[in-house]
Amino acid sequence: MTNPVIENIRRSLGGQRPPYNPRRGLGPRPAIYESRRPESVDSEIEQFLDEVRKLSGVAEKLSADSVSDALKALVAKNGIRKATLWHTPLFEQLGIENTLRSLAVDIISPNADKHEMAHCDLGITEAEYILPETGTLVLASSAEKPRAVSLLPRLHLAIVRPEMLRPDLHQVFAEHIGRGEASLRPYTPDYLVFITGPSRTADIELTVTLGVHGPKNLHVWIMVKNLTVAFD
Amino acid sequence: MPKAQLFITCLGDQFYTKTLQNMTVLLERLGVELTFPHEQTCCGQPHFNNGFESQAREVARNFLRAFGRSDASIIGPSGSCVSMVKHHYPELFPAGTPEHALAAEIASRTFEFTEYLVNVLKVTDVGAVYPHKVTYHASCHYLRELGLKTEAKTLLNAVKGLEFVPLNEEETCCGFGGAFTVTYPEVSRSMMENKLKNILASGADTVVMCEPGCLMNVAGGLHKTGSNIRAMHIIDLLSSK
Amino acid sequence: MSETPTYIGFEAYTGHIPPSIPSAVQQATARFAVGRAARVSELPQFEQLRQIASDIRLHTIENMDTYLLRFEEKVTAAGGHVHWAATAEDARQIVLQIAREHNVKLAVKSKSMATEEIGLNHALETAGIEALETDLGEYIIQLAGTGPSHIIVPAIHLKKEEIAAIFSEKLGIDAPADPIELTRIAREILREKFLNAEMGVSGANFLIAETGTLVMVTNEGNGRMCTTMPDLHVAVVGIDKIIPDWESLTVFLKLLARSATGQKLSTYTQFITGPRRAEGEFGPKEFHIVLLDNGRSDVLKDPIGREVFKCIRCGACANVCPVYKNVGGFAYGWFISGPIGAIFAPQMLGTPTARELPYASTLCGACADVCPVKIPIPTILRHLRRRVAEGDQIAASTMPAPIAAAAKLSALALAQNWIYRFGARILPPVMALFTRDSWISSAPYPLNRWTKSRPLLAFTAGFRSWWKNRNAK
Repeated sequence: MTNPVIENIRRSLGGQRPPYNPRRGLGPRPAIYESRRPESVDSEIEQFLDEVRKLSGVAEKLSADSVSDALKALVAKNGIRKATLWHTPLFEQLGIENTLRSLAVDIISPNADKHEMAHCDLGITEAEYILPETGTLVLASSAEKPRAVSLLPRLHLAIVRPEMLRPDLHQVFAEHIGRGEASLRPYTPDYLVFITGPSRTADIELTVTLGVHGPKNLHVWIMVKNLTVAFD
Repeated sequence: MPKAQLFITCLGDQFYTKTLQNMTVLLERLGVELTFPHEQTCCGQPHFNNGFESQAREVARNFLRAFGRSDASIIGPSGSCVSMVKHHYPELFPAGTPEHALAAEIASRTFEFTEYLVNVLKVTDVGAVYPHKVTYHASCHYLRELGLKTEAKTLLNAVKGLEFVPLNEEETCCGFGGAFTVTYPEVSRSMMENKLKNILASGADTVVMCEPGCLMNVAGGLHKTGSNIRAMHIIDLLSSK
Repeated sequence: MSETPTYIGFEAYTGHIPPSIPSAVQQATARFAVGRAARVSELPQFEQLRQIASDIRLHTIENMDTYLLRFEEKVTAAGGHVHWAATAEDARQIVLQIAREHNVKLAVKSKSMATEEIGLNHALETAGIEALETDLGEYIIQLAGTGPSHIIVPAIHLKKEEIAAIFSEKLGIDAPADPIELTRIAREILREKFLNAEMGVSGANFLIAETGTLVMVTNEGNGRMCTTMPDLHVAVVGIDKIIPDWESLTVFLKLLARSATGQKLSTYTQFITGPRRAEGEFGPKEFHIVLLDNGRSDVLKDPIGREVFKCIRCGACANVCPVYKNVGGFAYGWFISGPIGAIFAPQMLGTPTARELPYASTLCGACADVCPVKIPIPTILRHLRRRVAEGDQIAASTMPAPIAAAAKLSALALAQNWIYRFGARILPPVMALFTRDSWISSAPYPLNRWTKSRPLLAFTAGFRSWWKNRNAK
């Protein structure tokens, strides 16, 4: 089948072109891609929390024991009545759903209809990776981890672990497409999203306003010590 | 003894007699043996910048004839005219032709005035005295095409009595842009007025630059507003005693 | 709107520009330029990243066919549909056809230059489909019925009071002149639309050939809504957005937000590869991408001009452009404005249509200093000026005859130094008639265009005789 666009591109680029070479004009692969060298896990955690806070997010270090209390405080402070959350082993072990129910919060299935989910006050997710330099959460997508949970509720809470820390975008991308069986690489899920702070706009007179379409508030808890669950 | 040819530029020729005289005296005082190729006219930049490349080439040929007879350095009081010769002349002639070779050779020995003083003669103090508050406008081609970021300030720094004050948006175009001033006079004027606003706010009584074009624009603007602030070419400031 | 313009001028006469524009634009551009500078100073490798980005872009441009075909193959393998649109009309018809097949009544749109380029909103509305812009700034200007004045903040020319009045008039509500409250109103209205739209339309910041992935960068979250809520996602993307792989994307993502708004990363960066795969997950059941040519493949003929396709649409060039800051985006007459617009439009529309734009610059070079992909904007401006003035292989000269004649005559005079010197001797006495106290405050044509704004120095032309006398002694 002929493709007039491709044909015209070829005509324009000319017949003199050397055969395709993936490195032509690029020189040796620059080491710059792996530029960040983290000092320690602790400093990475601090930087991550700091960046999230700079973006008007709320970021805290928590131990597993204190999750229930933190949830109680969050629910009370933000008037949470309906919540939805990813189905993950971590959340099960932390007993998030039970804690919320005990606080009289309605739990909506993360696979519920979008109209129903739109009424949730709180959406809780984990992350695949977190990036300290930019305060970024990297979220994947699956039936157990639907993308709307981090989008429709007015408050997004991400519960993350130090194991998710990656020094740089480069490591995230390399790991991301390098997963799975070698024959199936590059592995590409249908969806991945980077979340760097709460939804924002400065479209009216450059006034920064949070929560224009996505969540108005972003909370990030990083689980650090006395964790009763094993990291996988 | 260093030898140099004076490249007076067409704007200098028409409007800045005193500046050119000062340039001559200053260079001679620094021991430079000067010649003046009187066949020179304009470098062709107005044509080149406006797309008339064939015409620019004709004008450039005249320059090559005028300056090609000697192998002395070529010194001009304008960043943009010097950049025209240095960077764009070699582009005007096909590589491999004798004209290209001559253009490239000429380009290699063409210098802007402050560049020649600081980087070739290694002179930073010319013994000038100018007890005034002075600010500096960085002209675009001087700054970006020639990459001269420190030369003018180095020379000003050595002037006795001179108090340097910074200019907000020092590196922002003054709105001259050659034919731009007559193609889009209103925009050119707003840009110039923005520059004047910053000059006024600097608290300086003198604004200095290394470009006759910008100087005509800024000095004209200052004159129109009735301001007492003097706009000067750096050569004239460095000739003050 | 869907018609390709036949002539666009540079509306530089600032008297025609609403007085609110330059000051609002200056405020926005200053904020972004300061933010950019701060981010750049934090990142010592910034200069190296620019060079790598430039190299990757050039490499991609020179191998665009290879990467586009790879992209198509990967999208198809992921269950998506790829459509090739040679012209704007083709692209409109493709989108309309998809919309009709799915019985679409309401389409929600995330900010997209490509859909502006093809006039998609107009085409959809003519077909009875509501097309709603959902980026707050775009939503405001869609309600107002105007175009964007800045690439990042399209409604920057409107004050909050004006926006409140537009909301009150168009939405029939009582809207206060408060940015937070206005944003809340838009959130509520648009949220209903997101949930009920049958089709989401987007552009893309990058297309990754390696995996057939569409990359979208937004701050508000409307891009996520448009591509997550409706069952149908149609992306319209210029073929120049292609990049080879995820590794290259690292470089572009590090440069994009820093150069655009002074953020390290924008709030949301999403990576979409085909339709949703999991049952029970959100996201479109059907994913279509329209790869838009519309003249781009012709521009590739020009090895100098085609560097424009390195552009990643950050707007940094406009934020530092002293011309742009004084006129705003409308003056450029096309949806991409500023220095990049001045080299984009004349190539996409042709110099007969947009011959004025390459001249809308003082060639100061501030744009090239900040461009994250090192597009030599002043060089391309001069190159296009040459196309206008003299013509080249791409297009014949479109310079008005009197200007071309004047250029030729003046060059003749300057190339024959005796004519020049003769002129230099008669000019001072002639101009002396207009001179008072060393200044000419009102000169004859064409210098009157100079003296309108500031006086001209008296012609002295005294150096040559001074030199002669001095050396005769």
